[in-house]
Amino acid sequence: MTKTAVEIHDLVVAYNRKPVLWNIDAHLPAGKIIGIIGPNGAGKSTLIKAMMGLLKPASGKILFFDNPLDEVRERVAYVPQRESVDWQFPVTVFDVVLMGRYKKVGLFKNPGKSDKEKAKQALEKVDMYQFRDRQISQLSGGQQQRVFIARALIQDADIYLMDEPFAGVDASTEKAILKLMKEMGEQGKTVIVVHHDLQTVMDFFDWVMMLNQRLVACGKTQDVFIEKNLNDTYGGKLTLLNEVGQILSKNQMPQREK
Amino acid sequence: MDALIIITVGFLVAFNCGILGSFLVLRKMAMIGDAISHAVLPGIVIAFMLSGSRENIFMMIGAGVIGVFVTIMIEVLTRKGKIPVDAAIGYSFTFLFAIGIILLTAFADDVDIDEQCVLYGEIIYIPFNVWVTQGGLHLGPTALWIVGLNTFIVLIVILSFYKELLITSFNPDFADSIGIKPIVWHYVLMGLVSYTAVSSFESVGAVLVVGLIIIPPATAYLITERLNKMLIYTTIIALITSILGYYLAFLLNVSVAGAMITISGTIFLLVFYLSNRYNKKVIMSKSE
Repeated sequence: MTKTAVEIHDLVVAYNRKPVLWNIDAHLPAGKIIGIIGPNGAGKSTLIKAMMGLLKPASGKILFFDNPLDEVRERVAYVPQRESVDWQFPVTVFDVVLMGRYKKVGLFKNPGKSDKEKAKQALEKVDMYQFRDRQISQLSGGQQQRVFIARALIQDADIYLMDEPFAGVDASTEKAILKLMKEMGEQGKTVIVVHHDLQTVMDFFDWVMMLNQRLVACGKTQDVFIEKNLNDTYGGKLTLLNEVGQILSKNQMPQREK
Repeated sequence: MDALIIITVGFLVAFNCGILGSFLVLRKMAMIGDAISHAVLPGIVIAFMLSGSRENIFMMIGAGVIGVFVTIMIEVLTRKGKIPVDAAIGYSFTFLFAIGIILLTAFADDVDIDEQCVLYGEIIYIPFNVWVTQGGLHLGPTALWIVGLNTFIVLIVILSFYKELLITSFNPDFADSIGIKPIVWHYVLMGLVSYTAVSSFESVGAVLVVGLIIIPPATAYLITERLNKMLIYTTIIALITSILGYYLAFLLNVSVAGAMITISGTIFLLVFYLSNRYNKKVIMSKSE
C-alpha cells in the first residue's frame, strides 16, 4: 500500500447554486502520474481549482498528506491553464519563472541569487533558457506551457497539479513535458494532470481518475481505463463512443513502435 | 516661480496617477479609476456638510471612504450578483455621482464648493493657496504638500510590494495558489487609487484625472516589454505632459488640466502610429 498524496472527501462544488461536482471521494497515491479525464464540462478544471483552494467547495474537504492545503502549501505546486493569463503582459520569461519563488522570498524582499540560480536550472530543464529575456508574447503555445512548468518546478514541491498542460502544444513540447513528468514520478513526486486526449492516456498515466460531474472510476490505468467506465464517463456522446472503441481495440493490439 | 510650482504639482499628480494606472491598465480595470474619481463627489459634499469646513483633510477622508466603498460595491456586484464588471462600474459611479450632484444642488447655499472646480480642477490657483502655520510660518503651497505626500506613499508602496502587485496582476490564480492573496492586493491598489484620485482632483478635477490614470500607462504599454520599464516610461511621459501642458495652456490662455490631457493624448497617438509602423511587437524571427 503506497502513501496517499491527496485525499478528497465528499467534495461538492457548485457554480451559481448549480452543482458541477457531486460527492467526489478519492484517494490519490503518492509518487504516481495521475490523469484526470472526462468530457467537456465534466468538472476537471473545477476539481483542480477546488483542490488549490481557488474555488470554495459547497461541502467536503481535501487533504494533502493528511493536512489541509494551508499547512502544506509549499509542498503543492499549481500549473494553471495556459489560456488563464494575458500573454501580452509586459514580463519576460525569466520574470514569470521567478514568480514561483515569490512566496518563499517573502515580503519586502526581492528574489536573490539562489532564486535566480533555481530559475536558470528550471528553464534549462524545459530547454527554454535561451529565451529567458523574451517577452512572453513572443513565445509559441508550447513554449508558453514550458515556462509555466518551469515556474512550478522552482517551487520544489512534492505534488504538482497541472491543468491541461498538453492542450495545444507541439509534439516536441509534449515529449519534453512527458519526460519531465516521468522523471518527477521516479523522484517520488506526485503529478496530477487534467487531460483531454484519450489516445494518450494509456501511455502517459499510471493512475487515472474518470470524471463526469460524479466520479466514475479512480484506479490504476490498466484496471479502470476500460470500455464500461469510458461509456459511463462519456455516455451518450456517439462520436466519442466510436473513438473510444477505436482506442480500446488499438490498445489490445501490440504496439509496434515501442 | 509660480510656473515651476504648477508644473511640479502637475507632474506629481500625473506620476501618482500614471504609476497606479499602469497596474489598472494591466489588470484591465482602467475604468475603475473613472468610477472612483466620480464617485468621490458625494463623499466630498457629505464631509463638508458634516464638518462645515473646507479643510482638505476632511474632504479627503470623506472622499477616500467613498472611493473605497465604490470599489467594494463593484466587487460585490460582480462577484455575488454576477453582473458584468463594466456594467457594475457604470452603475456604481453614476449612481453615487448623481447623489453627489443632488446634495450639491440641494444644499448649494450651505455648501461653498465650486462644481466647476471639482469637475475640472484649477491647478492655476495652487500657488496662491499657501499653507501658513499658526505661528505664521509660510510653508509653501498646500497642494504641493498634499500631492507630495501622495507621491511619497505611492512610491513606498510600489517599491515595497512590487512583486506582489506584479504577480497578482499577471496571474491571480497562481498567486493565490502560492499563498499571496489577490484580494488583499486588489484593495491595497484600490485604496491607493481612491486616495490619489482625491488628492489630485483639486489640481486636475474629477474628470481629467481619469486621463492621467489611463493615457500615460497606455502609451507606455505600447512600447514596453517589462513592467519596470513601463513604469519608467510612464514617468517620462508624465513629465513631458506636465511641462508641455503648462506652456500650451500659457500660450493659448486655456485650462492647464485640459492642455495636459490634450498633450498626453497627442503623445499617445504619436507613439501608437510610430509603434505600429516601426516596431511590430511580434518578433518571431529569432531561432527557435
